[in-house]
Amino acid sequence: MGNIENRLKQLGITLPKKDRKGKGAVPAKEAGGLLYVSAQLPTDENGTPLFTGRVGTEVSLEDAYAAARQCGLNALRCIADYTGDLDHVESVVKVLGLVNSGGDFSSQPAVINGFSDLMLEVFGERGMHARSAMGAYNLPQNVPVSVECIVKLR
Amino acid sequence: MENINHFPAIDGVEPTIHYAKRKPIVVLKQVGNLLYTSGHGPEDQITGKPIYAGRIGSDLTPEEGYAAARECGIILIGALKDYLGSLDRVKNIVKATALVNVDGDFCDINGVMDGFSDLMVEVFAERGYHARTVMGTHNMPNGNIPVEIEMIVEI
Repeated sequence: MGNIENRLKQLGITLPKKDRKGKGAVPAKEAGGLLYVSAQLPTDENGTPLFTGRVGTEVSLEDAYAAARQCGLNALRCIADYTGDLDHVESVVKVLGLVNSGGDFSSQPAVINGFSDLMLEVFGERGMHARSAMGAYNLPQNVPVSVECIVKLR
Repeated sequence: MENINHFPAIDGVEPTIHYAKRKPIVVLKQVGNLLYTSGHGPEDQITGKPIYAGRIGSDLTPEEGYAAARECGIILIGALKDYLGSLDRVKNIVKATALVNVDGDFCDINGVMDGFSDLMVEVFAERGYHARTVMGTHNMPNGNIPVEIEMIVEI
């Protein structure tokens, strides 16, 4: 069992099953040592959204944070499926967080912290990343959060 | 593949891409063996006029959205061909990001973007599979185009 896998166990984190995409899009694609992970939704193992609605009007900041964390778990699953072992992750490079925002909600970074905090918990120093967070008008399946990331492999 | 883009040679002269020269932005930029493309909308590459305009969910149907995303793909493949000479130099479509102009509670954004993704697999087969991000936005450039897509390609 790899180090990161052990760490997940210590943290009591179980990764969800693969988040399948439609024809054409795959969960992750590698080029030049970088793994581009498709935007993940806060879905369960069957692809059913665990949260829906706009943050600020229909979804609380706390739930949105939890949703972003779920996006992170799904991203880890994609990376683990691709690499076979999360120890192959040298660092998390870049994260783009999209928040389905209602009204004048403007705490998108606080939402995406759900994703970022998970990366730090799991990878430590290596989990620190550059990040952008923005409000979207709508997201697929009316989820509140969607997060994509780029990780460097070794 | 000869007819796949909107800027074939006219009288033996290949027209320049309309917006390539008027902004400090290029259509695509190479770093190492990766090509980063600018966001492309469904726009006529000669006149710059949008082929589709409006928000999906109110002005446009999901089917029109799908067609608009496919059009973006055709234009992007045209830009790749223009730059690379031959599309055989494309090793992989790595990543695509789509901004989809939506209205109301329309959220089948993946269904719209499939117009692009299906095309990539039709054209490049295995090499066409890509990581993908889609998002719904509410306002877009050039007369409110419905879709804008950028991508990263490995050559």
